[in-house]
Amino acid sequence: MLYVSFEKRLRTSFYTRTGYNLLSILIAVVIGGVFLALVDANPFSAYGSIVSEVLMTSYGWEDLLTKMSPLLLTGVAVALAANMRIWNIGAEGQLYFGAVITTWIALNYGSTTSSAVIIPMMMAAAMVAGALWAMIPAILKAQYNVNEIITTLLMNYIAISLVDYFVFGPWRDPKGLNFPITEEFAASANLPTFGDSPVHIGILFGLALIVIIYFVLKKTNIGVQITITGDNPDAGFYSGINIKRLIIIILMVSGAIAGLAGMTEITGVQHRLRQNISLGYGFTGVIIAWLARNHPLGIVFYTFFMAIVFVGGELLQINYGLPKAMIDLFQGMILFCVLGLEIFGAYKLKFKWV
Amino acid sequence: MNGFGVEFIILTFIASVKMGTPLLFATMGGVVNERSGVVNLGIDGLMLVGALTAFVVKLNYDSTWLAVLAAALVSAAVALIHALVCISLRANQIASGLALGLFGVGLSGLFGAPYVGKSIVALPDIAVPVLSSIPLLGRVLFQQDGLVYFSFFCVALTWYLLFYTRTGLNLRSTGEAPEVSNSIGLSVTKYRYMAVWVGGLLIGVGGAYFPLVLTSFWVDNLTAGRGWIAVALVIFAFWHPGKALLGAYLFGAALALQLRLQLLGVKMSPYFLEMLPYVLTILVLTLATIRYNIKGVSQMPAALGLTFVKGEKH
Repeated sequence: MLYVSFEKRLRTSFYTRTGYNLLSILIAVVIGGVFLALVDANPFSAYGSIVSEVLMTSYGWEDLLTKMSPLLLTGVAVALAANMRIWNIGAEGQLYFGAVITTWIALNYGSTTSSAVIIPMMMAAAMVAGALWAMIPAILKAQYNVNEIITTLLMNYIAISLVDYFVFGPWRDPKGLNFPITEEFAASANLPTFGDSPVHIGILFGLALIVIIYFVLKKTNIGVQITITGDNPDAGFYSGINIKRLIIIILMVSGAIAGLAGMTEITGVQHRLRQNISLGYGFTGVIIAWLARNHPLGIVFYTFFMAIVFVGGELLQINYGLPKAMIDLFQGMILFCVLGLEIFGAYKLKFKWV
Repeated sequence: MNGFGVEFIILTFIASVKMGTPLLFATMGGVVNERSGVVNLGIDGLMLVGALTAFVVKLNYDSTWLAVLAAALVSAAVALIHALVCISLRANQIASGLALGLFGVGLSGLFGAPYVGKSIVALPDIAVPVLSSIPLLGRVLFQQDGLVYFSFFCVALTWYLLFYTRTGLNLRSTGEAPEVSNSIGLSVTKYRYMAVWVGGLLIGVGGAYFPLVLTSFWVDNLTAGRGWIAVALVIFAFWHPGKALLGAYLFGAALALQLRLQLLGVKMSPYFLEMLPYVLTILVLTLATIRYNIKGVSQMPAALGLTFVKGEKH
């Protein structure tokens, strides 16, 4: 009889992991095709249209680069906290709160302040807002060890209700035909774009942050503390690292980055506050960080892939009338498949005839 | 309506039980799940799958019991993906739970799209003879719909099964000390699969309650994140079905009060009232955690969230 035994690998190489990640994505694409067929959309023409209309056109690439901007930031935000084994499932809420504060500045000072002043001001304010939104779970975690997965997630719903309050209430545009939207921001409050393209510069913030964070983690004292504590919390504790302080710092910085995503999204794409400014980018950040195992290049690579999922999903909404839930379904399947195949990266399979 | 009268309070209590019942089912499901050592963060997604299944079955076959049964079975089947990934394939339970949540939201949204805008007849209330004439309590607890009574039965049943049977003891032992369970010849894998499956059944019924009683229609994300409140309630309930009942009704009260204050025309934005249950959840979770810290004894299953591999130390 054939016996299969699992032998634990000491470490999983980057190539092994990447190989299995790509295989998982492929499996998710195949299963996704089955679901497409179940709702009467021909999977071949659906996937074909994503290739031809998203990957082969300049409009498609513009959309991809635009979509990468918030995803890169949430991916970096989640990955940063994950370095210390902290789950920030609240990037979504931090993004929304960042957007609220950005809107407040844009509506009050947009018409009287030049771009050179108001853009940095909004960036700083959105980051402070995101950090404050993350501070509540951070303090609860550091001080009382309250499960941050649940608290960061619940904060999302609070932030989304807060946005609803403003767009249905005090900030509703009187000329907006009763839609729950604020008035359009003044031109000075719009994030610059690359040349004449609609692609805003938000993606540069994400790329810059990846470099900065990589440097901080590798080269600075606090970075080493984060890495040690993440690898082995006991080692961190016994080497005298102030873990409570570190938890608060890392979750707040993570929140700040997610808050910035809120700023780039409404000043770069929407130009006003409305409901559903994020289609779950905070959760996508979790998937990106997981796939990349917090590796900086991996984050960029998988962000690009998830951008295809979003832009492709929006295309299917238009061409096939499919609901946007298709995007959630796909993300769930990708994560399931990646997790399911991880065992082959972590263990070597040994076959033996007995 | 003349403000805060006795009638207002009774009506609020009745609504609290109704709003709390889906949370009760879901929390019980979470309790069974986590008692075996497996965390399930995908409760909200499973509830949505259950909700859509119940709605579609009720719409097509007009049978409430068939709808509830189908919701339970479909939700439990989807929960088995989580079991496969984090028990057999040894993946991280937290990540797998998040995948399950997204998958459930996506699945229900995709297949639910054609059903948006249709509606069903809500489950009627049935007064229980004798019991319903108890003053106050009778009206609150025994003039409810059938699913509320079914939830009482499920609380008693899970309580009994978990704490007074051999199977329950074995299940709890796999959550406390899987090495020990394994060494006395129990299959940790079998008990954990069973717990995830039974948890999925209960969570599915919780989801079914939304369209069958509370809304009568289907809309994307019908549960509005209530599943996450259930995740927190499992901790608040100290992994016990009896305390889950108290916790669920407490949150039911917060949700009911939110609606009833709006009816009364209290001058507060509905969007701030919407935040109330989530703020309350964070507060209660914090208090429950602080209580552990002070008492120093946690009722949390000791092996919760840990992957068990025969012959391997975590």
